[in-house]
Amino acid sequence: MEIDVNAVYLPSEDVVARKIDDAFILVPIASGVGSMEDELYTLNETGHIIWEGLAPGRRVVDLAKSLAEEYDASEEEIRQDIQGILTELLKLNMIHKDG
Amino acid sequence: MSLYMEAPQKLPDFWLWEERRKKQGLVSFTLELTPRCNNACRHCYINLPAGDGQARERELDFDGIKKIVDEAAELGAMWCLITGGEPLLREDFEDIYLYIKRKGIFVSVFTNATLISEKHVQLFKKYPPRALEITVYGVTEKTYGAVTGKPELFAAFMRGVRLLLDAGVPLSLKTVMIRSNVHEFQEIAAFCRAHSSEPFRFDPFIHLRFDRDEKRNQEIREERLSPEAIVALEHSDSARHDALQKNCEKLVFNEDMDNPEGFLFGCGAGISEFYVNHEGFFMLCASLYGSGLLYDLKNGTIKNALDDFVPKIRAMRTTKTEYMANCGRCRIINLCLWCPAHAFLEMGQLDACVDYFCSVAKERYKKMLL
Repeated sequence: MEIDVNAVYLPSEDVVARKIDDAFILVPIASGVGSMEDELYTLNETGHIIWEGLAPGRRVVDLAKSLAEEYDASEEEIRQDIQGILTELLKLNMIHKDG
Repeated sequence: MSLYMEAPQKLPDFWLWEERRKKQGLVSFTLELTPRCNNACRHCYINLPAGDGQARERELDFDGIKKIVDEAAELGAMWCLITGGEPLLREDFEDIYLYIKRKGIFVSVFTNATLISEKHVQLFKKYPPRALEITVYGVTEKTYGAVTGKPELFAAFMRGVRLLLDAGVPLSLKTVMIRSNVHEFQEIAAFCRAHSSEPFRFDPFIHLRFDRDEKRNQEIREERLSPEAIVALEHSDSARHDALQKNCEKLVFNEDMDNPEGFLFGCGAGISEFYVNHEGFFMLCASLYGSGLLYDLKNGTIKNALDDFVPKIRAMRTTKTEYMANCGRCRIINLCLWCPAHAFLEMGQLDACVDYFCSVAKERYKKMLL
């Protein structure tokens, strides 16, 4: 499952992202999302930042550029992080490719 | 699991669940959608007829429920149990169910399954509940009817269960054991085990009604099993027997409890979880119902209830001699149905001792020693 850096990826409507205390968790609410229906997923800080960055019209490359500027990191490194987490989320049907 | 995400966890093993419980943060709540039920079970503490217009009028509407769910989610609740009466009697059940799910809160549902339709099946298939718990009152029309007063609903119950099973919706089947169905215990247990992946559970403890209807309370008393029958049932079920024996040391204290201050609430009621009744009253638990023991969420917030109301209730104490000499120091209180809530339902006093409870606890203890 390869991530297209020129594509836009958006959170599935069947996942609810919640912040409880200092934790950022993803709660699948529908069949086929996540590995089991009643499991919760905790994103670390990098995962959280990337999840929050998914937005309509924002391609992977755009997100990488924006985060690289914000966090003073290399764009390539950030893009790898984004591709890494999006690959996982796509496998779990927690995101979908827009369009 | 990866650089970005921890391995998924189920409740209640989810790390945040335990962490919040330790800090006494909110983790779960129960929503009682209605006291109305299409069954008329003899042992039920709450049921009113399905068509009871006055009861229906008093039920919290969808907007009132949304307000409670919104605040519970903000406060960090991760799980909600929907119960009744029969919650599927509510025409807005699906809206309520999905609203809670879309807040990222897991939902379990207690139902008698008689109203399950193809639409419900599709709902539960697409948006699975954490658990769908169905009480099996009997596996024959005669026994089902003896408990529920509605033998004609036995076919609807079987149909509902079948629809869910055929669609692959996992069920948790359980039963309540009373005089009207105890003769069918083995058959009911076999049915539950055959159709549910969850361990079989049964409840032989039934408590009195919230509305204190004396005629109905008398029926409940008549349905109660004797202490000897309860203990015999428990020990005929190997899983339950083993659990009781295994936890013997935790359940029975070596010496009398030390409670000179006379505190009544040794349980966790109102800590990390709460109950909302169909009228929108906050309760510390499913059984603590009565004047002065409720907080109106229509005119207040869950936060205020948790911060101000709960501590006041939990701080309640007694100096009553009978309580202090018996339940207040009892070594086998953990084998007993006694708690301030159940005592209140039985006797109208939070600190009352209840002979029936005491007899059951002593019988359970006697059996453990054998």
